[in-house]
Amino acid sequence: MPVRFLAERAIDLAIVVFGVSIIVFLMIRMIPGDAVAIMLGANTEITPERLASLRARVGLDRPLVEQYLVWAGRALSGDLGTSLWTGKPVVEEIAANLGVTLQLLLMSLTLGAGLAVPAGCAMARVRGGAADIALRVVTIAGITVPSFWLGIVMILALATLAPGFPSLGHVPFAQDPLGNLQRMLLPSLALGLPILASLSRLVRTAMLDALGQDYVRTARAKGLGERRVVYRHALRNALLPFVTSVGITAGYLFGGAIVVEQVFALPGLGRLIVGAIGERNYPLIQAAILMVTVGFVVVNFTVDMLYAAIDPRVRR
Amino acid sequence: MTRTLARAASAACLFVGVGAGAQTLEIGYDQSPAGLDPHIATAFSTFAVINGTIYEGLTAIDKDLRLRPGLAESWTVSSDGKTYRFKLRANVKFHDGTPMEAADVVASIERVLSKDIGSPLASRLAAVEGASAIDASTVELRLKEAQAPLLLSIATIAIVPRRMQADKDALQKQPVGTGPFAFAEWQPNSFIRLAKHAGYWGAGQPKLDGVKFNLVPESATRQVGLTSGTYAMLPNIDAATALQLQGKPNVRITETLELAYTLVGLNVSKPPFNDARVRRALNHALDRAEIVQAAQFGKGVPGGPLSPALKDWAVDTKEFGCYAHDPAKARALLKEAGLAEPVTVTMNVLPRQDIKDIAQVVQAQLAKSGFKVELKNQELGQFIQDWRNSNFDMFASTNAGSPDPDDYFFRTFRSGGSTNVFKYSDARIDDLLDKARAASDQAQRKAMYDEVQKTLACDGPIAHLTYGQLFTALRGTVQGYEIMANRSLSYLRDTGVAR
Repeated sequence: MPVRFLAERAIDLAIVVFGVSIIVFLMIRMIPGDAVAIMLGANTEITPERLASLRARVGLDRPLVEQYLVWAGRALSGDLGTSLWTGKPVVEEIAANLGVTLQLLLMSLTLGAGLAVPAGCAMARVRGGAADIALRVVTIAGITVPSFWLGIVMILALATLAPGFPSLGHVPFAQDPLGNLQRMLLPSLALGLPILASLSRLVRTAMLDALGQDYVRTARAKGLGERRVVYRHALRNALLPFVTSVGITAGYLFGGAIVVEQVFALPGLGRLIVGAIGERNYPLIQAAILMVTVGFVVVNFTVDMLYAAIDPRVRR
Repeated sequence: MTRTLARAASAACLFVGVGAGAQTLEIGYDQSPAGLDPHIATAFSTFAVINGTIYEGLTAIDKDLRLRPGLAESWTVSSDGKTYRFKLRANVKFHDGTPMEAADVVASIERVLSKDIGSPLASRLAAVEGASAIDASTVELRLKEAQAPLLLSIATIAIVPRRMQADKDALQKQPVGTGPFAFAEWQPNSFIRLAKHAGYWGAGQPKLDGVKFNLVPESATRQVGLTSGTYAMLPNIDAATALQLQGKPNVRITETLELAYTLVGLNVSKPPFNDARVRRALNHALDRAEIVQAAQFGKGVPGGPLSPALKDWAVDTKEFGCYAHDPAKARALLKEAGLAEPVTVTMNVLPRQDIKDIAQVVQAQLAKSGFKVELKNQELGQFIQDWRNSNFDMFASTNAGSPDPDDYFFRTFRSGGSTNVFKYSDARIDDLLDKARAASDQAQRKAMYDEVQKTLACDGPIAHLTYGQLFTALRGTVQGYEIMANRSLSYLRDTGVAR
């Protein structure tokens, strides 16, 4: 029953979002350091009156439960609050930074997941030879290397090989499409290559498993060509674990994006959140983390749906 | 494959790169400022972007930290030292086109003093009773009492348009000043761009069409940006970065002794540092020369309460008895104070790499002299809060210096001073600081500050450690830039880029 299946998953999603909203809310209030004192800045003379008036303005003088209910109530109606520092709605601030991060995630995921299938199939086909060993070493290296290190090394290498190539900073796509893609290339590679390495290993294992199955033998016995056996019969089954992994990876990619944005000086969501934590910008942290979490949950939800579409057994 | 790709890419960008904005100086800058209002945001990250570039004061400070005329072309001081009259420069225009007049100066001073704005700079104008416009180009400042360092103090009081007197938000995002560069654009987390102020009063200044502060948090990325020519300047970098960039093709390093210092602060309101003998013991336990070698790559000098860069004021560290590294003496002093070894204390550490390095060296040095120091690496917000609440035994940190001793000494060591978080109180020091602030005779002031330095060096609540070398890395094509010990980038007005 697809409808019932959908409804169940949607209820799961709502519960997760509710739980996360409480965790996010409590967690940032547990970071040591009085937000209000920090907001007043290091050089201002702090008087109790000033602290009290700012605390009241921000609403931090009320009981935690009340603070949460007020925030959650407004969030449900689409109002996630205003940034403590700029006074702008946090939704605007997040929207201004979201594009860069989405582009980065999309490009690195396309690169990582897109190339992983042919790479994994190729690895499965050359299994056992010297090429297999070499490829396995390369992929293990690829999984082990952290993105920030890879990023810095790539910047250095490019600066030496092609000193004129613009690799730093950010240009909006609408303003200069070529310049934008040039500058996004290295960050996407830094973020995508480790994923390519781990996903292609996964495809290889799944393919080897599938190729040993009875139905593959049957297909071969029918006289089908090797190409057809691999891509039509084995790959389709091998893709199941792959799809799940891509979904989970998409979520974890965001963690990597924070670091890569630092290295490549990209004005994305990661830098926004890191900055907001530093300045104890509660409304902004709450909204940004909540949105990222919802994004993560929605991606997983979509993967579940996709999984059900590929494999009828899941729907039961 | 990679090489082909890189070649193709570099060929492609040859068409894009040439001729585009060759006279805008690209700066690789580490920190995003928290705001650009010159009277509200006072951190280094803001100061470097706006001081002497967007904003100017009545007076200014040159690269030797000496006073020179700014927006005031001349001034006179009454014989009792309580009335200053400033003659303003003609033809000074704000970036919005309105002429700068005496009323703007009065409004700016009143804005800094206003309780509502709550400017951290108010303490610099503590002696000011009032300001008034005599005519459109003459301003009079009346003081409650004579204050010798006033002319240096007002150099960093930016003059803003009078319509901004009560504003609290607009200037944070859209600064309007009189300087050689006008604010053009701020892309958060990306860059801040300044454009040439065509109506600038200085003849032939600025030479550049604009300045762009690229906000790049990662140090390695900034370095590569400079060596590859993406950035033409990395201002105010530390020794570690400078040493890595030294000798790279087309890169030039300039340096100066910094006004800022590294320090260990001591809480004198509770044991063990409430005992002057323990503070003295700590000084004997420290080996400042070793700190410079071990944590600052040898690029710095041991220092006392004032930077050796202040040649007119600083007392030579040889005159401070407790600066002699002597663990045995330190132990003896601890014994004399009735303390059993090890004396266990916690040291809060400012989260900055050079300070973390220094804290570890200090920890090791103190361990040899009967102290047991536990390092507490803190997040910045927590560090500042503990600092402000005097919630520490000791802390390792760094602090900006000032061109005149009064600014730093008075707020830090006077009883009840605004940054006297150490709870230090000494009647003799209070008396000297009050008198030196009012005295106008340089030799007299020098004699008083000499005594202050000698007392504070050994018995004070701060063990001053080192003054580091400050560096700026430039592409070879950048001309006319001078680095300043107070981290101001005001010489950008004289800077040009050779084609």
